[in-house]
Amino acid sequence: MSVRVLQLKALAGLSVLELYRRKDLIVVFVLSAVILLPLALFSPFGLSGASRYVNELALLLVWLFSAVIGLGVSVRLFPPEFESRTIYPMLAKPVARGTVLAGKYLGALAASVSALAVFYLAFGLLVGLRQGVWFPMILLQAFVLHVGFMVVVTALGLTGSLFLTPSANLTVCGLLIVGMLFFGQRLPALAAAQPLPGKCALTVLHWIGPHMEFFDLRQRVVHDWPALGWGVCAAVLAYAAVYAAVCLALARCVFDKKRF
Amino acid sequence: MDVVRLDGVSKAFGAVRAVDGLSLSIRQGEVLGFLGTNGAGKTTTIKMLLGFFRPDSGRLTVWNGDPCEPATRRMIGYMPETAYYYPYLNVRELLAFYGGLCGMPKPLVRTRSDELVERVGLAGAGSRLLRTYSKGMLQRAGIAQALLHDPSLLILDEPFTGLDPLARIQLRDLILEQKKLGKTVFFSSHELSEAELICDRVAILKQGALVWSGTVHDVAGDGQQNLERIFLKMLGDVARKEAP
Ligand SMILES: Nc1ncnc2c1ncn2[C@@H]1O[C@H](COP(=O)(O)OP(=O)(O)OP(=O)(O)O)[C@@H](O)[C@H]1O
Ligand SMILES: [Mg+2]
Repeated sequence: MSVRVLQLKALAGLSVLELYRRKDLIVVFVLSAVILLPLALFSPFGLSGASRYVNELALLLVWLFSAVIGLGVSVRLFPPEFESRTIYPMLAKPVARGTVLAGKYLGALAASVSALAVFYLAFGLLVGLRQGVWFPMILLQAFVLHVGFMVVVTALGLTGSLFLTPSANLTVCGLLIVGMLFFGQRLPALAAAQPLPGKCALTVLHWIGPHMEFFDLRQRVVHDWPALGWGVCAAVLAYAAVYAAVCLALARCVFDKKRF
Repeated sequence: MDVVRLDGVSKAFGAVRAVDGLSLSIRQGEVLGFLGTNGAGKTTTIKMLLGFFRPDSGRLTVWNGDPCEPATRRMIGYMPETAYYYPYLNVRELLAFYGGLCGMPKPLVRTRSDELVERVGLAGAGSRLLRTYSKGMLQRAGIAQALLHDPSLLILDEPFTGLDPLARIQLRDLILEQKKLGKTVFFSSHELSEAELICDRVAILKQGALVWSGTVHDVAGDGQQNLERIFLKMLGDVARKEAP
């Protein structure tokens, strides 16, 4: 194995280990089980509308928890290293700063995607048990695009952590993600209805903001609509990759110049 | 051959001149003690030697290379001033992580860390999380990580701080053992007696500038002067120079 791969593995492994050792994730899992279990047992007497409502609620929770985990891990990749000065022995090793950044990012992504997989597994089982439909293709696609969402969320959280304090970063990224998820599609329409300064701001946001709604297949899953073409999925994933790459390139510029 | 060479190196933080025209070289196989009062610029010099930041002016090389390049740091082992490591790891996991960063294959990391954990006296606490370690135990973990990849240059920032007398003696022996193996050791310290015991040469820094450098032979041979007297004399000299 090349030196760079060994270094990336060590860095990514550290982030994953940290997430699981600090028990935050266990709390989220227990919380989601506590909420999802009654939903699974709740039988809506054959009313398809009620069953749909349960699924919608469960998926909303999955999205919420995934954003919390993705941001929670990525905003804490660097600040504790600076505060507790563990950054010094780390950067004294023969590792390039770019590798440190990439390794930590991959770790945050791996940690949050592993948690996401658990959520989708639980959701798939819940739907299967209640409705007898086991892991339809659209659910698989929803998971794949949700991974794209995590790619962007963790990149945003990491980049923000080099500019802002953890709490400020969490607030800014959280608002951006939730805002774009719910209003991203309507930005041009909202911009048109605003006076000039607001119009400019919303138009800029439309062009440079992360369009989280691209990754959201909740409605399709809930209504059991047909699966997307894989070409569309690939395009959305490419969008995620490019967006994350731009964020990480920016983070790299800052991190390379940072004086410790 | 000079392992480390500093030529008129300066570094300022705003109005504070942390390092001021420092010229110093360290020869291969030498143990050099870097002494000075609090805030004299020892840690700043060490940080530049590890490429954490570049000097404002002057030239600084390690094996004729730039320490900002990862390849130059391959043969450097560093122990920071404040021992603070990942609290959610145990010492073997910590060493596995640093071994990975050094690009060491897993089996090698395992044998090296078994050896070092034993050597620094942490074998009994090997599976405990670092969060439960005392200050001196963390310092020992720091020594182990500095030696992990068998570096030829050891840069230790106040390595004796927080160690009990036994660990102090062990560290002293360890440094002398590294010297016997032909390794170069550069350490900052406030422990004049330790420095006198193990250093080949001593450099004294005051307000970022080198005020004295000499061999331990100079110290012993200088009438009945010991390092403490030289240290006090140098600081006195500087104090006089500073007076209007
Ligand atoms: N990041 C920084 N920002 C501003 N000033 C700094 C910074 N790092 C060091 N200094 C200043 O530079 C000077 C030298 O500090 P340095 O840490 O190198 O001293 P030192 O010799 O290691 O002291 P000590 O023996 O207390 O560890 C001090 O005046 C310190 O306040
Ligand atoms: Mg210091």
